[in-house]
Amino acid sequence: MKEVFTSLRRTPYQSMAGFFVLFFTLFLSLVLFISLSFVNGFLSYIETRPQVTVYFQPKTPENNIFKVRDELSNSGKILSIKYINQKQAFEIYKSLNKDNPLLLEMVSADILPPSLEIYALKPVYLPEIAEYLKKQGNVDEVQYQKDIVDRLLSLTNVLRKGSLIFFSYLILMSIIVLTTTTSFKIALKKDEIELLRLLGASNSFIRKPFLNESLFMGISASVLSFLILITFFLYFNPFLKGYLVGVPSLSLDLYMTKLNIWPLNIVFFAIMFSLSLLFGCIIAVVSSFLATRKYLKV
Amino acid sequence: MIVFDKVTKKFPLGNFALNEVSFEIDDNEFIFLVGPSGAGKTSIIKLIMKELSPTSGSIVIDDEDISSSSFKKISRLRRKIGAVFQDFKILTDKSIFENVAVTCQIQNLDKGETKKRVRETLSLVGLEKKEKVFPVQLSAGELQRVAIARAIVGEKKFLVADEPTGNLDPKTSWEIMKIFKKLEGTKTIIIATHNSDIVNSFQKRVLVLKEGKLVKDKRSGGYDL
Repeated sequence: MKEVFTSLRRTPYQSMAGFFVLFFTLFLSLVLFISLSFVNGFLSYIETRPQVTVYFQPKTPENNIFKVRDELSNSGKILSIKYINQKQAFEIYKSLNKDNPLLLEMVSADILPPSLEIYALKPVYLPEIAEYLKKQGNVDEVQYQKDIVDRLLSLTNVLRKGSLIFFSYLILMSIIVLTTTTSFKIALKKDEIELLRLLGASNSFIRKPFLNESLFMGISASVLSFLILITFFLYFNPFLKGYLVGVPSLSLDLYMTKLNIWPLNIVFFAIMFSLSLLFGCIIAVVSSFLATRKYLKV
Repeated sequence: MIVFDKVTKKFPLGNFALNEVSFEIDDNEFIFLVGPSGAGKTSIIKLIMKELSPTSGSIVIDDEDISSSSFKKISRLRRKIGAVFQDFKILTDKSIFENVAVTCQIQNLDKGETKKRVRETLSLVGLEKKEKVFPVQLSAGELQRVAIARAIVGEKKFLVADEPTGNLDPKTSWEIMKIFKKLEGTKTIIIATHNSDIVNSFQKRVLVLKEGKLVKDKRSGGYDL
């Protein structure tokens, strides 16, 4: 550590350039990662909502509703259909508005519409199902979420591709800048390296101080970017809560497991920090390896 | 043991640094390499250190042919050889202790052992009170003592010195040579010099070089310019 600090002190501007490039790379990568996680989480959330909800007029006979339900079920285009009667609708209303007694007083089960929550086998069936429902009698409203899903899907795709390009650019730039600054430091220590080689130092011995310095920068840049991000999150947490009201949780599908991203939790933060640390270390190792390579030939 | 067998070193422009030079140096022998500038003394030192490779012939050090060795082998070889240079090659941003300790660190000695050995060696060269001092505060003679300490600390089997007194006044030169005298019999010592007074006073084996050729091998002798 003493050697690392001495070297940082002796070449402050090169060290600062390397550190800030690493910091911005890791910070922006974390921001991208979080944005993608939230968009993906939101998309998954939307997909778990009924894809078509049809509300019937409050006094529609149940038999009529069951007829519509059975016809849809037999069409071969439906994954599942759930019937929600007026009583169940009132229960849902009560649970959503439990903190507002005034709203609860004003509403009774009689005025709430019975509904069908329909999940299609494929998104392409959605327009057809919606059209069929609109033609039925006693139908009050058909809510159809395909547009939202489609928009979110295309947004996610654009974000994913854009992020990948931007992320690769950031990583490449960091490696180039860090390699250049390390090369400059090595040039200043050319005589020392030559002497070490004459004394029989191995490649790893010569490389070690430069690697330590790069790793120190990588780790400190990732810690700083994570701390700033977490401060940002904690500061804006009330705003996010207000914005995501009614969304109980957001999660991300990661192979076999589900990662909860909202409400904010320690596992999500730990993964963010680990990723940031991992990338910081990889950039540091690659750049110091590239910078020292040409000076280690006999 | 060091064996040079018909070693030739030819530079790309065609000039010979060494031309079919052969000799053997026994373990713990004390040798002077002498000759005028350009005779090939430094080339022999550089070939032993594997800073240069021979154009033809073979060099065997400690039963190992180093003529075409890999980097790993060369590093291992260099760890057995202590080197003293005319320009000292002292690291100016490190203290005297750190300059000497670097050899122990390369040899992977632990901190306690490093401390012990560095202090013993600094005491041997008369710098025990200056371990915390930086090179800029030392005289040329003291810097060369540091270089010798760095060359002999640790498990060194060979000590090569290229004009170790070349930049020093006569009095300091003698002090430096006294340190080499103290080390006699503990390791193979090869000193390249053109200081005839020193060579004549030591009465050790002398290899005389001229224009890249070995012209004399005196078992116990002196040297005339």
